[in-house]
Amino acid sequence: MTTNSEFQWVLKGRCYKLGHDVWHAGGVVPNWIITGRHFDPQEIIPHLFEETDPGFHTRCKPGDIIVTGKNFGMGPKMNGYIAMQALGLGLVCESMPFLAYRAAIGCGVRVLTDCVNVSEFCETGDELEINFRDGFFINHTKDIRREYPPLPDALMEIVELGGNAGWLKHWQAQQQAGGPA
Amino acid sequence: MGMTAAEKILARTSGLPAVKAGDIVYPRPDFVMIHDGVVRGAKEELDALGIHRVFDPERVLMVSDHDVVYVNDRAAARGAFNRKAAEAWGIKHFYDAGQGGHGHIFPTERGWVLPGTLYFDNDRHCTNAGGIGALAIRMGTEINRVLATGTNWTLVPKSVQLTIKGKMPHGVFARDLGFVIGKHLGPDGDFGVDIDYRVLEFAGELDQFSLAARISLCSTPTEMRAIGVFFPPSETILAYAKERAQRPFTPVYPDADARYEAKIEFDVSTMKPQVALPGGPHLAADLASVAGTPVSHTYVGSCGSGMYEDLEIAASILKGRKLARGLRMIVVPGSEDSTRRMTREGLLDIFHDAGAMVIPAGCGPCASGRTGLIDDGENSISTAVANGRGRFGAKGAQLYLGSPATVAASAVTGRITDPREFL
Repeated sequence: MTTNSEFQWVLKGRCYKLGHDVWHAGGVVPNWIITGRHFDPQEIIPHLFEETDPGFHTRCKPGDIIVTGKNFGMGPKMNGYIAMQALGLGLVCESMPFLAYRAAIGCGVRVLTDCVNVSEFCETGDELEINFRDGFFINHTKDIRREYPPLPDALMEIVELGGNAGWLKHWQAQQQAGGPA
Repeated sequence: MGMTAAEKILARTSGLPAVKAGDIVYPRPDFVMIHDGVVRGAKEELDALGIHRVFDPERVLMVSDHDVVYVNDRAAARGAFNRKAAEAWGIKHFYDAGQGGHGHIFPTERGWVLPGTLYFDNDRHCTNAGGIGALAIRMGTEINRVLATGTNWTLVPKSVQLTIKGKMPHGVFARDLGFVIGKHLGPDGDFGVDIDYRVLEFAGELDQFSLAARISLCSTPTEMRAIGVFFPPSETILAYAKERAQRPFTPVYPDADARYEAKIEFDVSTMKPQVALPGGPHLAADLASVAGTPVSHTYVGSCGSGMYEDLEIAASILKGRKLARGLRMIVVPGSEDSTRRMTREGLLDIFHDAGAMVIPAGCGPCASGRTGLIDDGENSISTAVANGRGRFGAKGAQLYLGSPATVAASAVTGRITDPREFL
């Protein structure tokens, strides 16, 4: 599989800080989005963080970074990550259940996890710069720099291709062209 | 450094001499399982990408278990879609409604899941594979990538070793132990480990646990987010597997110097019958603390208690007895083979004579609100794998979990009852 050298691995934007133990249902998107099987990003976006930060989608901009405490995204659902990817947001977590991390990768979200104590180094509104490929965290507002585990090389192409569906589309195109599996 | 059982299975299927926890690998599973509820999503997504075939129709098991008795138009439409999908994909092993049973039970009985096997599944309770010494990994909606390509990225999980000490007392069963293990694996549990995406590998005095008991013990750790559970297969279990094996197999055992994230010992010799309180299977409590609580809805089955032995235990208590007045009992065999055996061995008569309903093999009421629903204000005790609010429909119902023996004893009295009174 080829990778996209133009992909934007560094995001610069505003920090939105969340606490520990955020459930996907309720904390990230309302439960009805999940049970109603809504997967169209345009349907989900108005409801992203609706129950914890009403109007979030009107204030966030591409490149903004969601920073969370431990155990973000409990309940392995993908709906909220679909919206984050479509909005061009990054996600930096102290920890995530593995299947939540897998769901974020599968939706093509630029994500770092196992970022120890990262929420101590930023507040909502700070200007952050995150390099997801190398694991660099910079808080320009507070002049803090940290280094965290980067996205594993093996998962980079999935994110570059927009997630699992994008990866499969690319794979199929290569199959039809007689290229490598 | 040696390997854990999970590492050995993932090394073999990845074509590597060794792997270690934290590696990302691309295993070629022995087969892939997809359950009825996600076939449409996978088929439509793959069709939209122009992918109209699966990697190997011989190595895909399609099973209908969550929705077996279609009780609404949507379920009927799903069944019709799935039959067309199986035809279009050329699936050789399609166990439609009424043909196989519960996808986490009958493939072990039919020799698909064998010691050392690896398979991918969309559903997380595939961890039942660990009961026979196999590993199955949940892929969720990414099962579509597996169906297309035959593999997917897999993070080699860390393993936690749990050594069982002592003998289980009479009248205490695997589900009782499972609830207690779940409690200790929880955030405030005594084990002090984070079981998220870990394999719980059992060791110690395991000969006391039959295959059915081992499969039961896979259930609650899964609810606590374990990605796998593993029991080293005994000679008895190897003989069981050989009798029905669909293909040659090599059992896997961990190396003596395997690396575990944690090693825990747990003494079972003083255990008492348990229930899981409403809210989660890890909310273990001594049954005595809720004994006498009235119940009107009871159910034996699910991937946590769906083996024939589980049905036998319940039947042994119901034999010659009647259900309490105002109480209903739903019995769901794990497989169509078990249903036929129940007929041969008289269990169907025992259940029917007691006043219980035996419904076709599959997930039964545990598949969130499809059959055997409950009303607000009612109490239930069952062997379901989970008991979160609304699991059986009404959110105002109180859902307790217990062993098959506890459920059967409670069905006789109409109150949560210690099964030792009947054993």
